[in-house]
Amino acid sequence: MRPAMVLCIDDEAVGLRVRKIVLEQAGFQVLTALDGETGIQLFISNDIDIVLLDYLMPGMDGGEVAVELRRTKPWVPILMHTACVDLPQKTVNMVNSTLPKARGPKILIDKLQQLISASQLQEER
Amino acid sequence: MHLAEFRRILKQAFLVPFLTLLVLGGILFWQTVVTRKAQYDLDHCDRIRTRIAELERLIIDQETGLRGLELTHDPSMMAPYKAAEGPIQDRFSRLHDLLADNPQQLGNLAQAHDHYLLWLGFAEEIQSNPSEFTDVQQNHRGKELMDAVRESLRTMTDTEDRIRQQDQDEAASLEQQEQVVIVAGVLLAGILLSTFSLNRLRRVSSAYRNSLAALQRQSDEIFESREWLYTTLSSIGDAVIVCETSGGIQFMNPIAEELTGWPLAEVRSLPLQQVFHIINERTRQEAENPVAKVIRMNKVVGLANHTALIARNGTEYIINDSAAPIFDKDRKMIGIVLVFRDTTEEHRKEAALIASEKLAIAGRLAASIAHEIHNPLDSVANLHYLLARETDAAKRAEYLAMADQELNRTLQISRTMLNLYREPAAPVRIDMAELLESVLLLLHRRLANQQIAVEHSFKGSFIVEGFPAELRQVFTNLIINAADAAGYNGKIRITMAGIPAAELHGGGVEVVISDSGDGIPKSAKEKLFQPFFTTKGEKGTGLGLWVSQGIVQKHGGTIRVRENGPDTLPGAAIRIYLPAQTIATATSRSTAYLE
Repeated sequence: MRPAMVLCIDDEAVGLRVRKIVLEQAGFQVLTALDGETGIQLFISNDIDIVLLDYLMPGMDGGEVAVELRRTKPWVPILMHTACVDLPQKTVNMVNSTLPKARGPKILIDKLQQLISASQLQEER
Repeated sequence: MHLAEFRRILKQAFLVPFLTLLVLGGILFWQTVVTRKAQYDLDHCDRIRTRIAELERLIIDQETGLRGLELTHDPSMMAPYKAAEGPIQDRFSRLHDLLADNPQQLGNLAQAHDHYLLWLGFAEEIQSNPSEFTDVQQNHRGKELMDAVRESLRTMTDTEDRIRQQDQDEAASLEQQEQVVIVAGVLLAGILLSTFSLNRLRRVSSAYRNSLAALQRQSDEIFESREWLYTTLSSIGDAVIVCETSGGIQFMNPIAEELTGWPLAEVRSLPLQQVFHIINERTRQEAENPVAKVIRMNKVVGLANHTALIARNGTEYIINDSAAPIFDKDRKMIGIVLVFRDTTEEHRKEAALIASEKLAIAGRLAASIAHEIHNPLDSVANLHYLLARETDAAKRAEYLAMADQELNRTLQISRTMLNLYREPAAPVRIDMAELLESVLLLLHRRLANQQIAVEHSFKGSFIVEGFPAELRQVFTNLIINAADAAGYNGKIRITMAGIPAAELHGGGVEVVISDSGDGIPKSAKEKLFQPFFTTKGEKGTGLGLWVSQGIVQKHGGTIRVRENGPDTLPGAAIRIYLPAQTIATATSRSTAYLE
């Protein structure tokens, strides 16, 4: 079984770099994008297992990116990972789960694995 | 009745009786003249008769003398005869004069004279030859001649008697007529005068009654309108005090009685300051007496903000008030009317509203701080996780350097925030260009997210005095409003210009913020600066512009919607003027007052 492929979309360059290292050490394959448009292109051209999505970004925000992702591959789970405290309800409803930033890498990794297993279970069924 | 008509009646009341009596007097005078004429006629007859009688007696004297001569032939017997000659001629000529107006009597007189002359001829004969006079025949002839004289004289007397009788009858009838005229005239004049006076008096009295009724009506109306005004003044929901120009109180309505704690009955003519004791709520200094201020300015004046009224029992009310001069029809000031309202509750509400807007701002600020800080914190937490597992020294050093960088960033953010929102105690010199740049920096992410382009170029330095955090709040508000109005891919233009001092304001800075949105709907324009007015639905508190206005006004500036021009974008354009020198103090916070 190949390692799960995670797509991280975030405009925070340092945060993205550190997150990539953490996730790779945890056994994930990681693709990164600094804005929504790049993220969507990577999403379409790669076999992505889960998307880790920031909300506040220049250009398209997380909500708009999520709409596009759902439109192309609705089965891929999305975890909204943001420092933003007042997410619009319709975005919350669209993604599989949300996780505020700065809660620590353990929670992030657990959450990713949880969502991937859930989606794999659904696929098998 | 007009005064002119009344004067006419007065003239009539004098002239009519005067003329009536004049006519009556004329008639009586004429009657007297007629009566006198009748009396004269009677006297005339009497004179004629007297003369005739005298003539007869003189002729008899002559005859007696002649008879004496006849008997005695003594010429001395002729003395009476001679004596009578002259008077007889005299009587004849007098009678001729008296009877000149009566031809019949003149004829009679001529006859009598003729007869006398005949007798006189006879008498001459006898005198020339008295001895012949013994003849009986002669004697008889003398008697006949004398009888003729007497006869003609008697005829005259009879005629005159008849005339006199006629005159007398005439006089009697005249007298009767005169009585009738007098009685009738007096009666007529009496009736005329009394009827006239009655009629005129009636007119005057009816006019008097009418004017009395009109006066009563007028006085009723005046009373009613007084009552009405009094009731209206008493019913006004605001407190009203009316003063003389000397400052003495004339009137107070029940609300003013309630607020001052003084009953009207006790305050009449008391000086205003004693009853209407006002101070500045903050400085606790006596406020200027509004009556003195109105007299000084000669126009309507409003009270300064934060004026507190201290009631008789010491209760303090924040009041809103205006004082206006009362002018009479010649524009002479005859009093001052003071209208005020207890706004204590409003002030409390206002303070609460400002506090709630501040909380909302604090909330928004907290959210943005959380966002800014959680991003580097997230990296630090991840790096901490990696460091705990990493054994390679080079990688550990790299992670530590990155963590250090992210922690520095966090510190930087918190410092910037603190600097932005820490308020100095007194107004400081602010470079407006710098301030606006810092606001734009803070909003950069938000504006970038909406792809909003901000056009601005601030050339030169624009210095004003003020409180930077509050002004930042104002411009943050206005730029966020502009961004919301411009929408995705929209534009905002900010221009800044120095304003030279003019008559109505000092020198300062003008900032115009315009956007590419749809502009402000006409219906919203008037309410724009009112509290709780929002076009953003649940996203806005509706207090932003209201608080902004309060802050700008506190700085002595103005904020208003501007007409669009070549220098603005087509959407809404807001102009903010801030004076170079402010009168604002740290204690006079941004308590916006409702205009």
